[in-house]
Amino acid sequence: MVTRSRRFGVLRALVVLVLVAVVGFPLYWMVTTATRRNQEIFAGDAPLVPDPARLGELFSGLGPMLDWLANSAFVAFGTTLLSLLMAVLAAYALSRYRFRGRGVFGFALFATQMLPEALIVVPLYAIFLVLGLLNDLGGLVLANTAFAMPVAVWILKSAIDRIPVEIEESARVDGCPRYAVLPQVVLPLVMPSVAAAAVISFFDGWNEFLFANTFMVDKEKWPASKGLASYVGEFVTPLGTVMSAALVFTLPAIVFFLLVQRRIVSGLTSGSVKG
Amino acid sequence: MIENPGAARRLPYLFVGGAAVYLVLLTAAPLLNGLWLSVTDAQLLNPTGGSFIGFQHYARLFGDPGFYHSLYVTLVYTAAVVAGSLLLGTVAAVLLNRSFPGRTAARTVLTMPWAVPTVAVSLIFVWIYNNDSGVLNRLVRALGFDAQGWLTDTSWALVAVTAASVWKVFPFVMLVVLAALQSVPDELYESSRVDGADALNTFRQIVFPYLLPMLRVAALLMTIWSLRRFDIVWLLTQGGPVEATNTVVISVYRESFINSDLGLSAAIGAVGLVLSTVVTVAHFALERRSKESEAW
Repeated sequence: MVTRSRRFGVLRALVVLVLVAVVGFPLYWMVTTATRRNQEIFAGDAPLVPDPARLGELFSGLGPMLDWLANSAFVAFGTTLLSLLMAVLAAYALSRYRFRGRGVFGFALFATQMLPEALIVVPLYAIFLVLGLLNDLGGLVLANTAFAMPVAVWILKSAIDRIPVEIEESARVDGCPRYAVLPQVVLPLVMPSVAAAAVISFFDGWNEFLFANTFMVDKEKWPASKGLASYVGEFVTPLGTVMSAALVFTLPAIVFFLLVQRRIVSGLTSGSVKG
Repeated sequence: MIENPGAARRLPYLFVGGAAVYLVLLTAAPLLNGLWLSVTDAQLLNPTGGSFIGFQHYARLFGDPGFYHSLYVTLVYTAAVVAGSLLLGTVAAVLLNRSFPGRTAARTVLTMPWAVPTVAVSLIFVWIYNNDSGVLNRLVRALGFDAQGWLTDTSWALVAVTAASVWKVFPFVMLVVLAALQSVPDELYESSRVDGADALNTFRQIVFPYLLPMLRVAALLMTIWSLRRFDIVWLLTQGGPVEATNTVVISVYRESFINSDLGLSAAIGAVGLVLSTVVTVAHFALERRSKESEAW
């Protein structure tokens, strides 16, 4: 019995190792390529490990990427602010009140997850053309918020659902005015979920490609997603530089997602369980 | 408490109002406009200048083998990504559920692909799949096989795009299943061990019923996300080679921005939306039925 379970443990360790190696490889390969020069990369017997001497200068010489990252940061911050502002209020109402239209609103939030951006990109293009929002980073904020905000609502609603209403009632008895209950009593209790909603909204704006690719014309106004995508099939920029750029674009997302992943997952699933 | 009942009744609408109006303006209105475009002859250069032509686009689509091909590609891609990510995600979660040295590190690595921006994912995989110097072909050659055109050969492209997509999305399933596994009460494991069940039976009889509701939710999200996924497919293959990866969403984009035929593009998009709607309705119907049978 003991030997059997030990053999099982060894087997499990082997499977985990293989899985980690296979899943981790693309990221490892991105780092490795980022530290290598074109002559090495395309030589056919290119080294399979990063060049430690060049790890330090990984993020130098990124060219236009720095401007593009700044544009992405602008879009991402705008998307976060706008979607959190609406999501906090909507999530609170969904969690605390039974009102007519509640079910329809909940379904509309879910429906955004199945709406193909490719279908609404043309009508949005037409609307933005009239409003002068094409080729404008503000327009991207507006478009991205439509997809980020519903997810933020789910995350916040499932967090507020877990706060007992009695806490609010006793705060009211202690003289807390009605309008202050949400910002002063409820919000501080759900801060971790607010952070999770902020992260997912931020990276919705940071990662978004289709709207950015369609709406933004001027190269200096491109967000990094469009800028990076312009390297696909382009052979002028050294591949090492392209991979460094992809890496700078990726690292912040990995760090923040790892910090808040659990709450994002529970928010997304609860949104589709309760509708 | 002294409350004004009228004001209290209006309050939730005030709270939901911003978000609701926003969604109407930025998703519902463009969606309706898109559906309208599908019965007009609008062109890209003058998106509002189309005139009503009835259901010609739909008639054309349902007589066009190319359209059926893109429906087929979409369904194969979606089924493969859903199956692949559910399988890989569940296996990974079950492996990570027991503690072992290095578990946190393993979990971190296995979660990462989910966080990587799709454009970066595409750049990495374009490079890995590269015909001449890509690392996958180096491996294939080292093993003594012929190099393959992973993204340029019609028989490989859909496989390659699916693999990259599964890599990107399976961690989500893993995290969902892991959370569900950790909610299984320890007593259940113990009582099943006392009954002498082996690991596989324990999983089938005790753990799986716990996982099922969450797996269904994960399957729903994976399905509707895959049906509408644009960027990874577009950046890896642009729907090619020769339409091999031309999903519905890719043809929507191609018709609009390459062929400038907004009307036809919108009609394709509308059919795609019907697909996702059917899946979603089926999911909620199934969920209701299983809830009712539990109540019995």
